[in-house]
Amino acid sequence: MAAAIETQKLTKTYRSRNLGKVNVVDELDLVVEEGEIFGFLGPNGAGKTTTIKMLLGIIAPTAGEGYVLGREIGDMDVHRVISYLPERPYYYEYMTGMELLKFYGSLFGIKDTAKFQALLEKVGLAGDASKTISQYSKGMQQRVGLAQSLLNDPKLLFLDEPTAGLDPIAHTEIRDLILQFRDEGRTVFVSSHELSEVERICDRVAIINKGVIEQHGRLDDLLRGGRIEIIADAVSKEFAESFKGEDIIVSHHNDRLILDMPETSDVNAVLDALRGKKANIVSIVPRRRRLEDLFVETVGRADIRGKAKAKAAVTEEAAK
Amino acid sequence: MNVIWNIASTTVGEAIRRRVLLVILLIGVLLLSIIPALGILSARSETSITIGTMYAVLRGTSALIAIVLTIYMLPNEIERRTIYTILSKPVQRWQFLVGKYLGAVLALLLMITMMTIFMVLLFWVFQHPTAEKMAEIATQPFMYWMEMSLLAAVGMFFSTFIAPLVNFFLTIGMWLVGTVLNPLYDTLSKNGNTQPLMKGIATIVTNILPNFANYDTKNPIINPGQVIVNGALYKWTTVGYTAMYVGILLLLSIVVFDRREV
Repeated sequence: MAAAIETQKLTKTYRSRNLGKVNVVDELDLVVEEGEIFGFLGPNGAGKTTTIKMLLGIIAPTAGEGYVLGREIGDMDVHRVISYLPERPYYYEYMTGMELLKFYGSLFGIKDTAKFQALLEKVGLAGDASKTISQYSKGMQQRVGLAQSLLNDPKLLFLDEPTAGLDPIAHTEIRDLILQFRDEGRTVFVSSHELSEVERICDRVAIINKGVIEQHGRLDDLLRGGRIEIIADAVSKEFAESFKGEDIIVSHHNDRLILDMPETSDVNAVLDALRGKKANIVSIVPRRRRLEDLFVETVGRADIRGKAKAKAAVTEEAAK
Repeated sequence: MNVIWNIASTTVGEAIRRRVLLVILLIGVLLLSIIPALGILSARSETSITIGTMYAVLRGTSALIAIVLTIYMLPNEIERRTIYTILSKPVQRWQFLVGKYLGAVLALLLMITMMTIFMVLLFWVFQHPTAEKMAEIATQPFMYWMEMSLLAAVGMFFSTFIAPLVNFFLTIGMWLVGTVLNPLYDTLSKNGNTQPLMKGIATIVTNILPNFANYDTKNPIINPGQVIVNGALYKWTTVGYTAMYVGILLLLSIVVFDRREV
């Protein structure tokens, strides 16, 4: 599969009066395959939007290289086959939904009214085409934003916080549209804080913190290494105690045993032992790690590492 | 060219709906409407004072509109993130900038035309001038529109790297210097008795800063005895001066805006 996005040591440095040179994005190496939904995660100020802006050619990188659909970033030709939905976008409020699509369509030289109507239908706004943007709810504005992002039939969509500030119904609608984009063969690059949404729709993710990629890979691989929960009835307290061990949590109440153990444990041996004692096995549930846990763990670990590094630097400075 | 035109027409659509601009326009129209009454109070010719004051109001209102319109133009687009959606399409930064400027100039044309029509109608109601005189009165606002186009280019240039509030005072300052002080500096730079330092400053001001006084050609309209020698040539020279100055300012704006982190 070809890469829709590829960056090599992509860096963006800003100068700050107080902090001097700050690498907002630091030697970013990223590969996004064609046809996948890629989640780009990170806390506020991690460098997500700056990365997107560089990939879109809106700002120039300080160092490194980046390619979008095989072309160097900043190449204007690539703008014909990509699109962008910014976080909490603002559209000219006096325009109607149809006028908005006409305006953005005109930037591609598209004048096909039937296409605009079809796009409004696709995002569920066909009946609101003549309403002004000021009359649209947040969810409707986001949907009309998605419609404008589909005007050029893009191969690659950049969505920055597409569900931010939306109610649960609008969340579901936007999520379904994003999944539909993948089914149509488009690549979707989603930057988001909504980790449960990302977990539901993304094939692969990268977690960025302070401009550095901390985790990068298939979601299934990153969340593997979870735990297994076994529930069995008719187990005596003494027998339940025998399962206690390192990293195994044993709960026993009214002859019901709940075992919470690592996925890597010998589950068959446990089950054999339970059956040997005539226990009634109620359920065996593999529990994947949640993306939220991975995110908190990754960002937390990076922060601790950053603080340690800063402390070491201070100590070294003091020693000099 | 289509891209520039589409951005320009959207800018006009937005400008004519901006409440602050409409309020300034309304105040201008209200001021214009009381001017015919002021002529009676003056010892000078009623016609002269009426036309002169009407032009002053039209010019001042247009300048305020031009400044308020342009100083927020780029910062608003960045703050609202509309610029990102537009620049992610096949639109170059210079096309965006030129489109915005063109939109501002067209919006100014629209607003100045509205004020001119109101002014001429008002003059006709109170003074009953000849059709020839009315046509003559209606020509001066075209010069003001050119002046405002230049002022808009100044505001836009500063907006590529300066915050709106500072830009407001800077652009208004440039206009005041170019309108009120430029004729004075011009006299100083040509006077043989002027001190060398003052002469240097005067030469710089008259040659580098835009001379907005060039556009005020109302005297022959107010005082029938006065004429501009070779008026047509003067007007064409002013058109050329405006085009050159606007061209330079837009070019500088493009260079600065192209390097700006948005």
